[in-house]
Amino acid sequence: MADPITLTIDGKQVNVPAGTLVIEAAKQVGIEIPAFCYYEGFSLQAACRMCLVEVEKMPKLQPSCTLPAAEGMVIHTESPKVVDARKGMLEFLLTNHPLDCPVCDKGGECELQDMTFRYGAGESRFVEIKHHVDEKQWSPAVYYDAARCILCYRCIRVCDEGLGVGALGLTYRGVGAEITPSHGDHLECDECGWCIDVCPVGALTSGTYRYKSRPWEMNYAGTICTHCGDGCKTTLSVRNGEVIRANNRDRSGINDEFLCVKGRFGFDFVHSPERLQSPLMRRNGKLEPVSWSEAIGLVSDKFLEVAARGGSFGVIGSTRATNEESYFLQKFARQGLETNNIDHHRSGDVATLLDALSGKTKALATVNDLYTAKAALVVGADLAQQHPLLAYQLRANWRHHQSSTYVVSEGPVREDQYAAKSVRAAAGAELAALEGLREDLKKHGDLVILFGASVKGDAVRSLVAFGDSLGIPVTYVCLVDYSNSRGAMDMGVLPDLAPGYKAVDKPGMNIDEMLTSPTLDVLWVVGANPLEHTQLKNEKAFVVVQELFLTETAQRADVVFPAASAYEKSGTVTNVCGEVQRLKAGPKVMGAKPDLEIMGLLAKQMGLNLGIWTPDKVFEEIRRSVRGYNVALPVIATGGAAPTMPVNGRIPVSPRPDLIRPSGDTLFTSGTLGRYSRMLNKVMEAPGQLYKP
Amino acid sequence: MGIENLWESMPKINEILSGAAAIAKGMTVTIKEMMNPVITDDYPDAPPVFQERYRGLHVLQRDENGLEKCVACFLCSAACPVQCIYIEAADNTDQLRISGGERYASVYNIDYSRCIFCGYCVEACPTDAITHGHGFELASFNTSTLIYRKEKLLAPLPEGTTGALKLDHPVAVGDAGH
Repeated sequence: MADPITLTIDGKQVNVPAGTLVIEAAKQVGIEIPAFCYYEGFSLQAACRMCLVEVEKMPKLQPSCTLPAAEGMVIHTESPKVVDARKGMLEFLLTNHPLDCPVCDKGGECELQDMTFRYGAGESRFVEIKHHVDEKQWSPAVYYDAARCILCYRCIRVCDEGLGVGALGLTYRGVGAEITPSHGDHLECDECGWCIDVCPVGALTSGTYRYKSRPWEMNYAGTICTHCGDGCKTTLSVRNGEVIRANNRDRSGINDEFLCVKGRFGFDFVHSPERLQSPLMRRNGKLEPVSWSEAIGLVSDKFLEVAARGGSFGVIGSTRATNEESYFLQKFARQGLETNNIDHHRSGDVATLLDALSGKTKALATVNDLYTAKAALVVGADLAQQHPLLAYQLRANWRHHQSSTYVVSEGPVREDQYAAKSVRAAAGAELAALEGLREDLKKHGDLVILFGASVKGDAVRSLVAFGDSLGIPVTYVCLVDYSNSRGAMDMGVLPDLAPGYKAVDKPGMNIDEMLTSPTLDVLWVVGANPLEHTQLKNEKAFVVVQELFLTETAQRADVVFPAASAYEKSGTVTNVCGEVQRLKAGPKVMGAKPDLEIMGLLAKQMGLNLGIWTPDKVFEEIRRSVRGYNVALPVIATGGAAPTMPVNGRIPVSPRPDLIRPSGDTLFTSGTLGRYSRMLNKVMEAPGQLYKP
Repeated sequence: MGIENLWESMPKINEILSGAAAIAKGMTVTIKEMMNPVITDDYPDAPPVFQERYRGLHVLQRDENGLEKCVACFLCSAACPVQCIYIEAADNTDQLRISGGERYASVYNIDYSRCIFCGYCVEACPTDAITHGHGFELASFNTSTLIYRKEKLLAPLPEGTTGALKLDHPVAVGDAGH
């Protein structure tokens, strides 16, 4: 058989590799063949019969979604015979489909509606009463209206194949057939809500978006999810400054259409009634709302006073702030306050990894590499729980390319389902278990090693040495937990390392030393909650907090500034694989300001010259001064992900492995943000054991 | 003044006659119109009379049970060329049933400082909920009073209804199917 194959579709010649489906071949020449059940990347179904095409020399119409292209095929996609067949199919689909478009959430973006308009099958010859079934609520996030369902099985396939959850199945037969959760009347799944997005009709609807709006009523902002470190692109649908939906239907970004429960439903913390909307200042022991100028003035006076008498500052940065904010904060601390006492909550040993990889090129894996690698080794992490996108990529790689995945973990993980080998090892003892996998790993052409927070310090060096000894190309991912953990480290929010992991002359206090120092005069916390479980040793310290909510740390503060969340600001973030992506501001919350602006106002009030504090200008400075961040602006501006390698040489400091503490978040929690997300809390309280390994 | 001048200044007989004829002709029109019915309205002393299809202030209709017909489908606001209709939708529950459909408009505002009374909203409405009434006295010294809320737009409850759902026979919807 010839490869590539040449076939003719609607008079256009197209060359495709052998095995390509006709529906995909048509896409290459810009011909859209309508289909309800076909979904790129998942198993074939041929259930809806909408994609029927006429193939010359074949007596009957053929479903193009299951028809592999063959040499010399001549295909007509819109011949009168085809149009007639599609019209007939639509009429059948509409026999029981209620015409309740006015109350259906899908109205305006419904594939069945579009096709009915295109083929004009609006009038039915059926006079029988439509079969009706009441709408069901499967979980706080998912509603199912069986009457609208056209049984395309897309939801079943994405759940079963894409995520490995298999929460949905089919029950009853014939006209009574409907999609049913595998566990009775409720879902026991990851609640990712992908089934809602792939539904071509309004059978599956979302609990957050329910009845809120229409597609044409909203503005769309493609930004990066702020919940975990994977850096999924999420398109926020904003109506009147309020986010009401998040999805990624346009498949832009590194995650294609994939989002987890936090990306799709966890955005509602933005509009939590507990958001701070005015600066607070402690007066007579109580936090009271004050004006911005008053709060900025007080903090500025205090900072200048402490700086003048040579007092000590402690600065704690954020794992969710943008790169620009982290960079500006460390610049503020190092140049403005002349201190190296700056740190953040570290959740992975990136510094040691970069040091161990010194001199190597292409040693860091990107998110896409997980989909193309021949093999992957996951050490000490529950990927599906903590890095859902990376888990999805590995699974997709296994489904599409038969890649091999090896797991070394403490307990059972979901990757066991398809892993070539799973080994159980206690946290910290993973490396010993690796030796047993050596011969298996050597067989593969290349390997990605992903390791969690339990591999730190010298263990990282041993792991890299193990990778080197395999004799195959190995790339690494150091799993960090928060949306910009990686960026905070790259931007030098560390006591001993400046941006780009350059050594500083005199390392400052780390986060633990700051909190336990009896002489600390000022503690400045930007978007973190270090006092969640501990107390500040020096009770007299002046505490300034920039935060979204009145967290434990904010309650201890003397001045609290209301900060904007990542969804409300512009800037860039770096994901777990070191890829830089751009945030785009969507909703607005009155009273809150981005951290960068708060820091800028403070610098201005103090008379410091730290440069212009717009995200664009600070990013320009980062591009100039931080190695690896000199990324192509068009890639960033168009919503792409640009890989970085912030250092390629020895990092001349000993990192403190004991300061690396995993966040302990699950698929349904997200630190401070998750606590204030109503939907995430509702999902966890709903019946059913949700996440299953 | 001489007698000749006076004579010359007096009207000729035919002029007198033609004047009288003109008055008589004019008066015939007047008298004829006095016999005809009145066309003009006595507004504002009496209420004005409208053609049936006059496009005035909108009315949000109710069904025979007194439930609102509007299901908050947003089609009127989509059709509106000046975007003067703002809607927020909410769920009907067993405890609180506002409309006949699954959902109802919890907020329904029309901004009459922008409305051009084109009638597209009425044409777009799938449930015949929004209609043009005959109200027209909208003038105000303050444009902020020109945003009419749902309460102001709703038709009064029909005689003998409470706005609660009444069925003439029991329906067990859940039993349908299997």
